[in-house]
Amino acid sequence: MPNDAWGIGASLLRREDERHLNGRGEFVSDIKLPGTMEVAFVRSPHAHARIRSIVKPSDAAGRVFTAADLPRIQPIRIVTQAAGAKSPSWTPLATDKVRYVGEAIAACIAPSRAEAEDLAAAVTVDFEVLDAVVDAPRDLRGSRHLVHESWGDNLYSERVFEGGDIEAAARAAAITVRREYRMRRQSGAPLEGRAVLAHRDHRLDEIVVYASTQTPHTVRVALGEFLGLDLRRLRVVAPDIGGGFGPKARLYPEEIILAALALELDHPLRWVEDRGEHLLTSAHTRDHHYRVTAYADGQGRILGVDAEIVVDAGAYGLWPQGPYQEAAMAARNLPGPYAIPHYRARAATVATNKAPLGPYRGVGRPGACFAIERTIDEVARAVGRDPVEVRMLNMVRPEQMPFTTVGGMRFDNGDYPQSVRLCAELLDLPAVRARQQRGEPDGRLIGIGFASFAEQTAHGAAEFVSRGASIVPGFESCTARILPDGSAVLMVGIQSHGQGLETTLSQIAHHELGIDPARIAVRHGDTESTAFGFGTFASRSMVMSGGAVARASRLLRDKLCQIGAHLLQCNVAEARCTDGVVRGPQGSVTIAEIARVAHLRMDGLPPGVDPLLDATATYEPAVGTGVFSYATHGAVVAVDPETGFVELLDFAVAEDCGTMVNPMIVEGQIRGGVVQGIGTALYEEIPYDERGQPLAGTLADYLLPGAAEMPAIKIGHLHTPATATEYGMKGMGEGGAVAPPAAIANAVRDALTALGNSGAEVNETPITPQRAMAAISKARGIGSA
Amino acid sequence: MTAIRLRLNGSDIADEVPPRLSLADYLRERRNLTGTHLGCEHGVCGACTILVDGEPARACLMLAVGCDEREVETIEGFAGDPTMAALRDSFHRQHGLQCGFCTPGMLIAAHDLIRRGEAGSEHAIRAGLAGNICRCTGYTNIVAAIAEAAASLAGGPRDAE
Amino acid sequence: MKVPAFDYVRPQSLVEAVRFLAGAGGEARVIAGGQSLLALMNLRLAAPEILIDIARLPELAAAGEDDDAVSLGAGVTHAAIEDRRVPDPSRGLMPRAAASLAYRAIRTRGTLGGSLALADPAAEWPAVLAALDAQAIVCGAGGRRMLDCGSFATGIYETRLADDEIVESVRIAKLSPGARWGYVKLSRKSGEFANTLAVAVADRARGHCRVVLGAANGPPLVLADASRCLADGARDPDALRGAIGADLDRAADRHFDDFQRNLHIVAAMRAIRQATA
Repeated sequence: MPNDAWGIGASLLRREDERHLNGRGEFVSDIKLPGTMEVAFVRSPHAHARIRSIVKPSDAAGRVFTAADLPRIQPIRIVTQAAGAKSPSWTPLATDKVRYVGEAIAACIAPSRAEAEDLAAAVTVDFEVLDAVVDAPRDLRGSRHLVHESWGDNLYSERVFEGGDIEAAARAAAITVRREYRMRRQSGAPLEGRAVLAHRDHRLDEIVVYASTQTPHTVRVALGEFLGLDLRRLRVVAPDIGGGFGPKARLYPEEIILAALALELDHPLRWVEDRGEHLLTSAHTRDHHYRVTAYADGQGRILGVDAEIVVDAGAYGLWPQGPYQEAAMAARNLPGPYAIPHYRARAATVATNKAPLGPYRGVGRPGACFAIERTIDEVARAVGRDPVEVRMLNMVRPEQMPFTTVGGMRFDNGDYPQSVRLCAELLDLPAVRARQQRGEPDGRLIGIGFASFAEQTAHGAAEFVSRGASIVPGFESCTARILPDGSAVLMVGIQSHGQGLETTLSQIAHHELGIDPARIAVRHGDTESTAFGFGTFASRSMVMSGGAVARASRLLRDKLCQIGAHLLQCNVAEARCTDGVVRGPQGSVTIAEIARVAHLRMDGLPPGVDPLLDATATYEPAVGTGVFSYATHGAVVAVDPETGFVELLDFAVAEDCGTMVNPMIVEGQIRGGVVQGIGTALYEEIPYDERGQPLAGTLADYLLPGAAEMPAIKIGHLHTPATATEYGMKGMGEGGAVAPPAAIANAVRDALTALGNSGAEVNETPITPQRAMAAISKARGIGSA
Repeated sequence: MTAIRLRLNGSDIADEVPPRLSLADYLRERRNLTGTHLGCEHGVCGACTILVDGEPARACLMLAVGCDEREVETIEGFAGDPTMAALRDSFHRQHGLQCGFCTPGMLIAAHDLIRRGEAGSEHAIRAGLAGNICRCTGYTNIVAAIAEAAASLAGGPRDAE
Repeated sequence: MKVPAFDYVRPQSLVEAVRFLAGAGGEARVIAGGQSLLALMNLRLAAPEILIDIARLPELAAAGEDDDAVSLGAGVTHAAIEDRRVPDPSRGLMPRAAASLAYRAIRTRGTLGGSLALADPAAEWPAVLAALDAQAIVCGAGGRRMLDCGSFATGIYETRLADDEIVESVRIAKLSPGARWGYVKLSRKSGEFANTLAVAVADRARGHCRVVLGAANGPPLVLADASRCLADGARDPDALRGAIGADLDRAADRHFDDFQRNLHIVAAMRAIRQATA
C-alpha cells in the first residue's frame, strides 16, 4: 500500500510553498530578458465614441503602434453554435470606434514603463463622443443607442428554458412570492494583474509569450488563429500566477498585441497590467438582474418558479466562449438543489458600453443561488415556517438520486438535506436564536441565514456541446515519465496557480506508483513541455488532470511490472508495484533499478518491450454532464439599525466533494472561495455612471475583503464519493464563492425581521450600508433614502 | 540621476537612480529582488511591504532616492532571523499561502506584529493584517500560522542575546 | 502606473526648503512621508515639477512639551503617536486616532504635518486637531505664523498655507485631567477612509468643548450647537439630536444626502456619548 501520509486522503504539505516563502516565486513580471522594452497602452477615456483621428507625437516613429501599424492582427471572433446568438468581431486595437472605457487604442514602447506612460500621454485621439448604453434591462431591445450598430438591438442572445407546466403551478399555488434581485458588477481582482512578456527566439523560429493566464494551450491556439501563425511557431508559458479565479481563463487583446509586436521588433516586450487597468479592462463579472415568481403550497413546497434573467455582458465577448454562458448557467442553476416540478426562465444576455464580462469563481451560479435562496426564505416567511425546514422540504433527497432537475442538471449522488442540518449544527443555531431573543447591549440586530447549492464540476464534452461552445474542454492530458534514476515527471496541460496541483497530482502518481512525492516533479503551464490541455478553470483540474495522471501512471505501472517480472524471473501476473518497488513471489526490484534498465541497460529488457518509461494518457469522466459537489453555507450577522453597517460574526460551510485527495488543500480552497463570496455579498462593486464611466478605479474604491472583518470560517464535511470519476473525486474549487451572498442576505433579512411588521430585505449585492439603511428606513416608514 | 547609498539586506550599496524610480521598482528591476510584489501601487494591498529602518513600509510609496542612508530589508533577506524562520515554517504547515503573491508582504507584516507584541490573539492578528490583502486563502490559515509562530517564539528557548 | 518625471531636491534645513519652495513658483511640492502624495503621483493625479524632500529635516522631527501644551514636529509619524513615543496632550485621543489611520506600514512613514497640509476631507488629523483646538506653526519666506487648525483647511485639498509655506509643527494644548473625549470612525473596512468621523472633546476645566465632523464633504465641520450641548452635559438625547441636525442644516453647502446626514448624526451622538459617559 502507498504511504498513507503521502497518498490520496493525506494532508500532504505543499511543495509550492518554499519558493514563495522565500520570495523566489517567478511571476511574469519577475522574468528578465536582456533588452526588454516596456509597453503602455493608450486607452479610451470614453464609454462610446467614434475615433476621428489618432495623432502620434512627432518623435514617436517606431514607438507608437496603432491597428494600422499591425495589419497582421485579425479581429477576435467568437464562434458559437447557440441558436440566434450574435457575436461581434473585436479588433484588439480599436480602429473606428471604442465601446468601453479602457479599450486599447495604441501600444507605446519605451525602455521603462514610466517613459512608456509618458509617451502614451502624448498621443492625441480625437473622439466623437456617443451616448452610452449602460442599463441592460432598459436598453436590451428598445434603446436608441446601439453598442453594435448592425444588430438593430443590444441582445447577444436570448433563450427560454422550460420544464413542466408553469401555468399549472400558478393555478395550484396557495401562495405566490415575487421578488427582484440584483447582483452588481464586480472584478475578479487577483492580487497579481495580468502580464505579458513576448520575444522572438530566432534559433527556434518561434515567438515565446509568457502570460499570466490559466489556459496557456488555448491562448496559443488563439494566437495562431488571430496572428496567422503555425502553432509550431508559438510557445506560451504561464509561470507562477498570482491568482486567476476565472478572469485569466480568457484571451485578451494585450496578448495578441504583444506577440504581434515581438514579430515586428527585435527585442523583448513586456506589459504589466496595473491595478487601474485591471479594474477597467480585465473581465468583469456578475451583473445579473432577476425577476422571480415562486408558486408554493401552504406548507412551503415550491410548485413552480418563473424567472426573467438579464445579464449585462459588456461590449464584447471574450474568446473562446463569448458572453453567453453567464445567463445560460444562471437559468439552468436557478432551480438549485430542489425538486421543483415546474419552471420557466427567459434569459437575456445584453451588450452595454462596459468592459466585457467573463468567468469568475462560480460563474453564473452565485447570482442564481442568490435568487433562489432568497426566494426560498421568503416562501418560508410567507407560510410562517423556518427557512431551514422549508429548504429541506424542497430539497432533492438521497433516495431520489440520480436526479435530473427541471433546469436540466443531472445530480449524481449525495445527501443534500444533511448538509443543511450539519451547517446549522456548526453555527449552533439554537444558541444564535437565544442570543437573538436576548438582544444585544449595543442595539445591533442579530440574524442567521443559510443558502444551499449543488455545483456542477468536471463536466465533459456532453455539457460543453449542449452549450453550443466553440471549443469543448472535455478532457485533460498527462505525460508521465520515469527518469533513469527512478524519479519522475508529470507533464500536464492544466495550470496551477494556488490550487496546489504540484502537490496533489504527485499524490495521485504516488498512489499508483509508490514513488515518494518529493521525487515526482509536476510540470504545467508551458505549451513546450506538456501535451495539449485546456487549463485550470470550472472546478475541473483535480478530477480531469488527476484522472489523466492516474491513467498515465497506471500505464507506467504496467510496464514497470513487465520489466520487473522479467528481472525477477516471475510471471507478470505475479508482480505487484507498491511503495516504489516491484515485488514478485521471491524477491523485489526497485523502480530505480527498473528505470536504469529501461534507459541505460536495454539488454536487460524482456523481449518485445521497448525502452523508456514514458506514457501519455487523456481522461474524460465517465459521465459528461458533471459530478456534483454540494454544500450549505450559513452566516451569522449583526446589523446596526442606526447605520446599516453589517458585521459578519460567524460563517460555516457543510459540504461534500466526494473523495478528498488533500483535505488541507480542499479546506483552503473552500475558505478562499467563501471570502471571495463575502466580497460579493458586502464589499465589491464597479458602478458605472450614466455616461458609462466606471467609478471604482483603485483599491480604495473597490474594496476587497480584509482579515480584520472576516471571521474564521468553519467547515464540516460529508463524504459521498462520485461513481463516474477516478477515486470518487468531485471538483470543488468554485463552490466556496457561490453561496455567501445568499446566506448573508438571508441573515441580514433575518436580523431585520426585528424591525417589526414585515421587516426589511436587501435584495441587491453588495449589501452596502447605504442599501441596508434604505431598506431599514423603508421598513420604518422614514422616507426612503 | 541621483546618487544613493543604502544598506540592503545587510550589504552596503551605492547606486545612481532617476528620482522618479520607486523603491519597489528599484528593488525589482535594478537589484533583482523580485520577491517584493506590486499589487496596486497605491498603498492598499500590502504585497510590496518591506522593512525600512526596521519598520514596515510600502515599497510602492517610497522613492529610491528617499532611501539614501537608510536600511532596507526585503523578503530575500532575514538570514538567520528566528522570527522569520518560525513564520515560514508555520505558513507552510498551516497552509497559509496559495498563489504566493501576497506572501512576502504578509510575512513581513506578520514579522512586525510579532516584534511589537501585537500577535497575542486572533483579534489582534486580524486587526494587524488590515493592510495586507490576500485574495486566495480567506485569511483563516494565515491567522493560525501567525498565532502559531508567535506562540512558538514566546515559549521556545530564548536566545542569550 | 508610474510617477511622472520631476526634479528632486533634499534641502538640509527648513530655511533652505522654504527657499526652494518659494523659488519654484508653485510648481513644487514638499514630500515628507509621501504616503498620500506618492499614491496620487502613481495615479498621475498629481504631477509636481519639483519634489522637495523634507522627510529628514531635524526641525520637523522635534517633539516637546511645556506645562500647558505639547509641540509635535510636522514630521512626527502616525506610528510615533500611536506608540506614544512622543508626548500625548490628548489623554489618549491622538493615539486612538493614529491607530485607526490606514495601516501600520503607512503609519510608519506618514506624518502629522503631511496629513494636515494635504487636507484630505476624509483624513483623521484635520478633524482631531480641529477638535483639540490645536495651532499649526507654519514657516514661509516671510517668516513664521500660527494658524488655527479649526480653520486651517478651507476646502477639499485646500488650506490657508501660502505657496511658499511648510507646516513646521503643531502646538496642542494639554487636556485637563478631568477632560473626556469621544472618537467614532465608521468605515466599511479597517484602515479605509471614513464614511464619517466624529470627534468630541469636553474639557470643561478649560472651557473647551467641541464636536467636529470629518469626512464631511469639505474641511472639518465644527458643530457649534452640538458643542454647546456637550458643554452643558448633553443629557437630553432628543435635544442633542436636534442640535446636531441644526448644525448640519446650516452646512447646506456640504450637500449631504439622507444616508450621510443620518450617519453623521449617529456618529456625533456616539462620540458625544463617549465624551460624557
